[in-house]
Amino acid sequence: MKLITQPIAAVIGLALAATALTACSEDVGGGGGGDAADAADAAACAPEDVTLVGQVRNESNPYEASWLDGGDAFAEQVGLTQDRLTYDGDSTRQQEQISQLLAGNTDCLVMNILPNGDSDTPPIVEGAQEAGAYLVTQWNKPADLTVTDYDQWLSHLTYDGVDSGQQIGDALAESIGGSGGIIALQGILDTGAAKDRFAGLEASLEANPDVELLDQQTANFSRAEALEVTKTLLTKHGDDVKGIWAANDDMALGALEALEQAGRTDVAVVGIDAVPDALTAIEDGTMTATVSSDGPWQGGIGLAIGYCVATGELALDDIADEDRAWFAEQFLITSDNVADFTSPSVEESEFECGNLFSRSQGAIS
Amino acid sequence: MTSLADADAEEFVAPSRPRPRRGVPLRDTGPLLALIAIVVVFSLLSSDFRAIGNLQNIMDAAAILAVATCGVTFVLMMGSIDLSVPGVMGASAIAVALLVENNRNDNDFGLLGILLAVLLASTLGGLSGLALVTLKVPSFMTTLGVSAVGLGIATLMFSGVQPNISDNLLDSLAVSRFLGLAYSTWIAVVCVLIGWLIQRYSRLGRYARAIGGAEEVLALSGVRVAPYKVAVFTLAGTFYGLAGVLVTSQLSAGLVQAGRGYDFAAITAAVVGGTLLTGGRGGVLHSAVGVLIVTVLTNGLVQVGVSPYWQGGVQGFIVVAAVAAAVFPQRRRNQVTK
Repeated sequence: MKLITQPIAAVIGLALAATALTACSEDVGGGGGGDAADAADAAACAPEDVTLVGQVRNESNPYEASWLDGGDAFAEQVGLTQDRLTYDGDSTRQQEQISQLLAGNTDCLVMNILPNGDSDTPPIVEGAQEAGAYLVTQWNKPADLTVTDYDQWLSHLTYDGVDSGQQIGDALAESIGGSGGIIALQGILDTGAAKDRFAGLEASLEANPDVELLDQQTANFSRAEALEVTKTLLTKHGDDVKGIWAANDDMALGALEALEQAGRTDVAVVGIDAVPDALTAIEDGTMTATVSSDGPWQGGIGLAIGYCVATGELALDDIADEDRAWFAEQFLITSDNVADFTSPSVEESEFECGNLFSRSQGAIS
Repeated sequence: MTSLADADAEEFVAPSRPRPRRGVPLRDTGPLLALIAIVVVFSLLSSDFRAIGNLQNIMDAAAILAVATCGVTFVLMMGSIDLSVPGVMGASAIAVALLVENNRNDNDFGLLGILLAVLLASTLGGLSGLALVTLKVPSFMTTLGVSAVGLGIATLMFSGVQPNISDNLLDSLAVSRFLGLAYSTWIAVVCVLIGWLIQRYSRLGRYARAIGGAEEVLALSGVRVAPYKVAVFTLAGTFYGLAGVLVTSQLSAGLVQAGRGYDFAAITAAVVGGTLLTGGRGGVLHSAVGVLIVTVLTNGLVQVGVSPYWQGGVQGFIVVAAVAAAVFPQRRRNQVTK
């Protein structure tokens, strides 16, 4: 009995042929295999030969979508286009996408990557190192992985979560007049971001002894969960609640919905991330403060660092060690300065090769 | 007539095995007793828990899960499984947000917009069913695929900018109250009621349960099973679509992630309520009890002040204990994973 009918066999055959052809054309375009030594010697790529890739979890998340938009803006600035990749928060898919990228022409490949978690970073770094691609990572990196041990991993940048948690904690304390009860909505408890931000709140509480933390719960960074948890906490603590500290804006927005449904307008709410809806809420006066890491800038800066090194405008040796792994500047947004952030735009000058590290707040210790 | 129909269904459940002695009342009331026990314990532990406001809160919080679980229940009764909930809910959430008055476009279809979004969800549900019966792919795979399709459609429509709704009708569903409960909660009550009527009095409902009990017997007696399977998945999709609309109403915004976690939450609730994963037993009312158990647990653990670091574990432990207690009389049939 024939297992494969003729049409199916034909389709499979065609598919195989197509794969083979694609692989060939990639090789031809690459002008030789991409091994690390080659790439390092022929450091200077022509600007038009550079491939720019930005990879984040989701385009359905406004912050990460704005990151890719920032990457597009930078690419346009240098007359290129950015390949937008997303992996839906699935570590396996992220690694697959990266292996596919690295199997192609890597001589002038620049990658600006948001690793899904700390443990996803090492294989990406090893892959880029071996293939000779230029890599910049953001947010997640195991503490014991040192950027300076690699010469294709150009830089890793992240944000001081303790600092952001404290900044909004202080803003919250100020807006409730320095005393009263607050509740805290934590992020996914086993993530570094959630831990650091909550540590920041604790530091802020120490500095504001009259502010009392009535309750803390996790809403897993989710708007819907924050809505339910806040409703429950509002029935539990009632009018004692003067403020809500949320470890991200999505949860802050969920808390705002819960407040609206409960008919409460006397509660201050703060979050982190500066998603568009939160900025609108700050403009309207329903939300007190948020912290911005500036997604569009993040999308651009990673590509800019890679582009500058790939085109030889910036030598790897000229990047100071403290700029290889660094905290970037973040901005507290309140009603005073929200107008500056509502229409996110990228300053071209931020991405000039001499100006790449202007937002550094120091090396990651 | 009613009792006759019931008897029929029971016949399909256990067609040939000699009936073991079993606590018939306990089989159906086990989850209900578990619910009452949990409520009593939390009420004793916390005065905040037994406050009227909190009970309203629990009902409101249970609404969306109840609607989604209605859909899952029909699929489970057939002995299939449905993992398409996140995709279908996400697609309907974004669709409804873009069809009613919002900040992204000039649409203002109101109720028609809601109907269209639910229709989209029904279509996606029907797609699961069609793939199941025509391609003979297990429901586990087809629904996972349809979930991805739904999320894809949702992400395309989302296109990077959150649609926020300003439609009064949709906004009022979550905020306005009637007899102390939000409109959305009443919608959930009506859904459970309709689900129960379909399950009990319609051919679709009785066949769904019979397919789960003994599909071969049904097929041998001349019933064309396939159309009913497609219909059940379509019905389930409709419920998910409505759940997506209710999430949108609660959050005042269309989220691609609107249905995240609802697949397993709904299956858990159905199983906790006494609906078997192997099909053939349980039903909408069982599932409604299961939803309340899950919701009361979530709420109660916060009210009595269990640390968030412990909650996940404690909740899981109680759910497993509740399922074990509730299905103990049916343990012969509960061997879905040996």
